[in-house]
Amino acid sequence: MLLLLDILTTAAILFVVSVGLLAIFGVLKIINFAHGAWLTIGAYCAVVAVKMGLNPWAGLPIAFVVGALLGGIAELLIIRPLYRRPLDAILATWGLGIVIGQLITLEFGRDVQLIPNLMSGTIRVLSVDYSVYRLFVLLAALVIGALFALTIEGTRLGLAARAVIMNETLARSLGIDTDRVRLVIFMIGAGLAALAGVLLTPLTSVDPNMGVAWLIGAFMLVMVADTSYLALAAACIVFGGVQVLVSTFVSPVLGGISIAVLAALVLRINSRGFSRA
Amino acid sequence: MSEGPTASLLSLHEISSGYGAVSIVKSVTLSVQPGEIVAVLGKNGMGKSTLLKTILGLIPLRSGAIQLGGVDQAYLTPARMIAWGLSYVPQEQTLFQDLTIRDNLRLAVRSDGELGAALDHAFSYFPFFKDRLRQKAGTLSGGEQKMLILARALMLRPRLLLIDEISEGLQPSVVNRIVGVLRDERSRDGTAMLVVEQNLDFALRAADRWAVLKMGEIDDEGPCGLEAHERVLEHLSL
Amino acid sequence: MPEDAALLDDRPGWGIASEWRAPAAAAAGAALIVWIAPLVLGAFAANVLTRSMLYATLAVTVDLLWGFTGILTFGQAAFFGVGAYATAMTMTSIGSTPAWMAAALALAIVVPMVLGLVVGWLSFYPGSTPLYASVISLVFPIVVTQLVYSGGLLTGSSSGLVGYDTLPLELEGFFRLSGIVMIAVTLAAWVFVRSDAGKLLVAVRDNDVRCAYLGISTKRIQIILMVALAGVAGFTGFIFAHASGVVAPENTGFLFGTQLVIWVALGGRGSLIGSVCAAVAIDYLSASLSGDLPFLWQLVLGAAFVIIIIFLPDGIAGLARTASLAISGSLRQTRVSRVTVAVPRTAADRRATLLKVSGLARSFGSLSVLENINLEIRPGELVSIVGPNGAGKTTLIRCLSDGSEPFKGVVEIAGQSIRGLTPDSVVALGVGRKFQVASIFESLTVAECLRLARTTSETPSGIGSAPILSLPVASVEILRLTGLIDLTGSPAGLLSHGMKQALELAMVLALEPRLILLDEPTAGLTNTERATIGAVLRHLTEEAGYAIILVEHDLDFVREISSRIVVLHQGRLVLDGAVDDVVNSEMVRTIYSGGGHV
Repeated sequence: MLLLLDILTTAAILFVVSVGLLAIFGVLKIINFAHGAWLTIGAYCAVVAVKMGLNPWAGLPIAFVVGALLGGIAELLIIRPLYRRPLDAILATWGLGIVIGQLITLEFGRDVQLIPNLMSGTIRVLSVDYSVYRLFVLLAALVIGALFALTIEGTRLGLAARAVIMNETLARSLGIDTDRVRLVIFMIGAGLAALAGVLLTPLTSVDPNMGVAWLIGAFMLVMVADTSYLALAAACIVFGGVQVLVSTFVSPVLGGISIAVLAALVLRINSRGFSRA
Repeated sequence: MSEGPTASLLSLHEISSGYGAVSIVKSVTLSVQPGEIVAVLGKNGMGKSTLLKTILGLIPLRSGAIQLGGVDQAYLTPARMIAWGLSYVPQEQTLFQDLTIRDNLRLAVRSDGELGAALDHAFSYFPFFKDRLRQKAGTLSGGEQKMLILARALMLRPRLLLIDEISEGLQPSVVNRIVGVLRDERSRDGTAMLVVEQNLDFALRAADRWAVLKMGEIDDEGPCGLEAHERVLEHLSL
Repeated sequence: MPEDAALLDDRPGWGIASEWRAPAAAAAGAALIVWIAPLVLGAFAANVLTRSMLYATLAVTVDLLWGFTGILTFGQAAFFGVGAYATAMTMTSIGSTPAWMAAALALAIVVPMVLGLVVGWLSFYPGSTPLYASVISLVFPIVVTQLVYSGGLLTGSSSGLVGYDTLPLELEGFFRLSGIVMIAVTLAAWVFVRSDAGKLLVAVRDNDVRCAYLGISTKRIQIILMVALAGVAGFTGFIFAHASGVVAPENTGFLFGTQLVIWVALGGRGSLIGSVCAAVAIDYLSASLSGDLPFLWQLVLGAAFVIIIIFLPDGIAGLARTASLAISGSLRQTRVSRVTVAVPRTAADRRATLLKVSGLARSFGSLSVLENINLEIRPGELVSIVGPNGAGKTTLIRCLSDGSEPFKGVVEIAGQSIRGLTPDSVVALGVGRKFQVASIFESLTVAECLRLARTTSETPSGIGSAPILSLPVASVEILRLTGLIDLTGSPAGLLSHGMKQALELAMVLALEPRLILLDEPTAGLTNTERATIGAVLRHLTEEAGYAIILVEHDLDFVREISSRIVVLHQGRLVLDGAVDDVVNSEMVRTIYSGGGHV
């Protein structure tokens, strides 16, 4: 039971952390290596919110808005000139991540920031006591996933985004402003990353480089999921499950690299990963 | 090059365009008057599709000028051209095969509010789509797909319609039907059309005027009439 | 055709020696500085610079992979780390006798090379993408770092290994050793990238499809390069382990890998010297800063990196190159002094069937593009394939030249089935393919492009550039007719469209193929250029006995030069006959005037 809960909540955390990256990769075909920095930005939004005397929960909407706005600026200045150079875009966003990390260091210092937990305590689930917060993240993942799915499947923006994913030339020839679609999707992706950063605060220490640790896992999951959020969810459950099992029964260190290794192997066998299944 | 006081709806003045280092369309001058149907004929690879894509703004203009209603279009994008009242029936990359018919049509209107009226206009020509809106576009037959892309272009009630080889691979009965639709739409709304074709019979029946494109340049042009068929066939055959 | 086909430049001895004079002098000067410097420098500076120079050596390997070959890699850090750990672990756990020292050196080179082979095999396979190779290069250092962390006493876990015996060199000695290694590796790289073999790297980066269709296995080149440079990185790690006396998990990590890439980007990818300078300067400055400055410094570096990537993809060195070009106004001169006629391979039997296609079918999902195609072609025939758009012409050409296409039916070249063969292996059977859009190597010169086309028949030199370029008669003929022969030193990317088409044709002919596949070779050409190419094609088939398959839209052109015409319509072969029969057939008239069903 404990194992099952661990697997589900781990998958939920992975999903929350990587869904913003997926949105951007799907529509823009660009890997946002500053994704880790946006997680950090989100976490520091929570820090600032607490310092200003706001409720820790206020960090969530603040982070989303700040992340999306900064994302918009980054898209216009850095991503847009590099559409045709995807490998260079990886590097430029990585550089952007360094800049953001150092700016945060200069402002807040290198130390770990302490902020009150959003939720604490445990709750009895069937036979085991389990962290309330981890269960809350599971719920949050379901809500974020559902909202994401609704946006993609139900709205005009989602339809336009899918059109750009499927066939950009055709979308353009129908008069869809593809530049605008990309900008908006990048902002949503960046906003989601910052939101995930807030949700991470009780689970990980908050410091200027916290995002990097999550970046690689998210990146590998998105590679495997290609552009499909359902495939992402599946990948989170499978790889998250393997990570928990390896960590529990073999070694936590090997568990830490299991996602990256497995994803690399899956991609070697089938370059479209889970999205085909 | 507007002639006389009333400006042409579309006027191309010595336009050139192409891909990379290659010029496909070379110094083409051509105009379409309001309510006029002009057919551009030519063999494969002569620059017909490129010409339409350049007018739409999908391919950048190298040199020359494009005017709509007498106004120079300096910065061409498909979004702007369509907002002005242009509509485009592509030859390749025509439909989102995995989307429903409704979503395919929905992508062509600028807001969902306009969809109802647009659909009604489309149904007036192709009523059979009415009951099949939830069907995936990819499941339609080739002829039905052509009718869907034509419906998608017509439902916006364009001032000028650009059509790229719509008759390709279609049975004569479907081709006849499309000729009828184009003629009807013109008499209803006064829509002007620029039709790019290899199918001589179709083009000459639908259009008022023809031009032959060869190696990216206008080789010959004239009115559609009895003697047009022989003259154009000279250009198209082996 | 006379033996001295084209005399371009008869200055004698204007070859290898003069080219090497400048870099050899520069290297000697640098070595002298490295030798003297430790006498002048303080201990701190000497210490840091020792490390910086080793990092610069790594930057050279990253530049070779990324700048020249286009493989964006973060993995060199891990090969370096493995080399360093192999050394330190041998010293710590086994012993430090001279014999073990030598064993450590061997391990530090061989283990990274073996890993390089694994990483290369994972990264480069038919159909692999550059992005995937980068993904693997990212995963690899992460895995190595984690293994180091979980290695317990063996690897020292997070605190690393320290206090093992090292080579008996003082600070001075290590400084000099590192400096000499850096200079030697840089010089070797410099010489290699300018050699004929070195051009292969740029060719793979520019156009791996063209490489494959020149019979060159790009994947093999990429893997060999990765293995070799893994060895260099491991060797650098060996010296680092001795010079620093400590190895830590950070030395293996992905973050270090990104740093290397940043240095190369700032210095200028593809510049070698720029990468070296940037690595030394930035690493040294980073170590010398204190207080809040390191963060500010990282901030400035990060921002500079972003700006350089966006606006100056060639880095500072690229800027310098542009500036010096603007001042001196001269481009690279040709180093080929003569083009000669190569001895032809043995002539093929004219009567035997060269290409036999039976029951060929190809579909994409439910869409059937080709159905039941049967076709035979003999030497000396020029067969044109015509048909409206979407008839399946280009798909047919692809099925004839790439056995890894999932087609049904049989395609045989000279009796051998091509099923499952990748394009480079099909080329080896004697098939040359010219693409519709001229496919050449934009950043190489005309002579270099042509030399690459000869790679499979003459192994290119790894240290120099041969002054003589020998090509088959047909290639030389094309060069003469089009005037390309006077442009052998010009960058191919600057040629006119027609010249590029001619160059690609000359490259294909340089393969001495028995069967040539041409996809619209005259698209976008002027009438004179078309006539020229038409004349050459006729000559090739009628007199030289080549077989040619031509896909062409321009039916006038087809009528003039073909010996036979095949009509494709909606994926089927509807007509196959002599020129006049096909041209005058009612069916062709129907297809072309009405697009009707047949």
